[in-house]
Amino acid sequence: MTDNLIEIEGLRFSRGDRIIFDGLDLAVPRGAITALMGPSGTGKTTLLRIIGGQIRPDSGRVVVNGHDVPSLSRGELFELRKDMGMLFQSSALFTDLSVFENVAFPLRVHTDLPDEMIRDLVLMKLNAVGLRGARDLMPSQLSGGMSRRVALARTIALDPKFIMYDEPFTGQDPIAMGVLVSLIRGLNESLAMTSLVVSHDIHETASIADQLYIISDGRVIGEGTPDMLRDHPSTMVRQFMLGSPDGPVPFHYPADNFLDDVLGDA
Amino acid sequence: MLRYLRLLGQWALDWIGALGRATLVWFWSMAGVPQRDDLKLLVKQVYQIGVLSLIIIILSAFSIGAVLALQGYTQLARVGAEESVGLGVALVLLRELGPVVTGLLFAGRAGSAITAEIALMKATDQLSSMEMMGVDPLHRIAAPRLWAGMISMPLLTLIFNAVAIGGAALVGVDWLGVDQGGFWGGMQDGVEWWEDIGKGMIKTVLFAMVISWIAVFQGYDSTPTPEGMSIATTKTVVYSSVAVLALDFMLTLVMYGEFK
Repeated sequence: MTDNLIEIEGLRFSRGDRIIFDGLDLAVPRGAITALMGPSGTGKTTLLRIIGGQIRPDSGRVVVNGHDVPSLSRGELFELRKDMGMLFQSSALFTDLSVFENVAFPLRVHTDLPDEMIRDLVLMKLNAVGLRGARDLMPSQLSGGMSRRVALARTIALDPKFIMYDEPFTGQDPIAMGVLVSLIRGLNESLAMTSLVVSHDIHETASIADQLYIISDGRVIGEGTPDMLRDHPSTMVRQFMLGSPDGPVPFHYPADNFLDDVLGDA
Repeated sequence: MLRYLRLLGQWALDWIGALGRATLVWFWSMAGVPQRDDLKLLVKQVYQIGVLSLIIIILSAFSIGAVLALQGYTQLARVGAEESVGLGVALVLLRELGPVVTGLLFAGRAGSAITAEIALMKATDQLSSMEMMGVDPLHRIAAPRLWAGMISMPLLTLIFNAVAIGGAALVGVDWLGVDQGGFWGGMQDGVEWWEDIGKGMIKTVLFAMVISWIAVFQGYDSTPTPEGMSIATTKTVVYSSVAVLALDFMLTLVMYGEFK
């Protein structure tokens, strides 16, 4: 067994004429927090869905815990996902279930545990994210930050080996963001998990990530620790790490010459 | 000309693709071993789809039965055959109007609700999150709705027929004064179990399958945006209604096809 939980080699994927990944290579070491960053629209969420087997790539190897994901059958995929968790940007709580039932859902579906034990486990998970007192609330009664914490409690309900976080900090106030940062770091250590975080929030992500990948134009353009990337020789990587508005990643979406466009025929 | 041919070809390819995806949705929903929670999920959906459709079915059935009796009585009284109004109304309801109108109402009330619910779950990543938890949404979400539709609609059709005949009796017998013995006796003599009730129920079961399938597929295949949800819901009602009417014509032709 390798030290990498996820290994991606030569990944190619396109949507229509648009190439999303063009020979992407990436490895996620076991027990570490790996962050995936890059300009909007580079396919970071798509990559998470490819790792989870929700999207099949055009070619390339995607190995998760020793299993080649694209070649797995439907049944094998569902089996593999029991060891995975994914925190969605939208939280994706089931709106017809209470907070308690949302967290209990994977336990009820995948285990034969008695109700008393499920209750204890749910309360433990909710306690870990600080929302034990919100167990009876419905998702519509939660703030954005609370929703994401409930979704995190649900994600760790079955103690997965590996969690993917899709933009966990987006839209959070500074306090909620701080709570999430410490939760992700704390859970990764206390539950001996492996984490892959997709985020735009450089400061927060860099503070918890053991290694970062920056992808652009379908490839990895920079990898290493946050400090290494800040001094990276690539101007594109530095532009991203420093958050400069213009540079190799242009401010303008590709278009015809502005004057021609404005003065030309409609 | 070439442009239109290309558009036609594209439309045909899209249609074949959608049919393929719809078949997969049906297959994967129905495949697999029933699990512990399945009965609970099914009962919940029978309530959502069937019980909550009762009011519109009962009100429509009563109104249609009453109108049929009024119209039937007006025509039959001219030839002194007003007692046959019971038989006429029963045959029209059991063979045609019961399954068809229930189907149309079911598509509008339950079909649209199924599509909207599944489309919203898709737009808010609830289906994706279920998949990532190792739970097959086709088994957990689609299958109970398909089965509930196929169980509920035939029952709703029976209720529709019974209430409509009751409405016809109220108007025909209690209001217009048709002889009670003639009204019910004619119905008892003229209605046949298999020809009228049995074949009508076969129609309604097939309508239920088609409507539930369309509703579930449109939700599952929708574009995850507000506009996509709106389009999917509209498609469910339109496609289901057209499918019910077209299927009814074909089934009538096959079942009662001695037309020369």
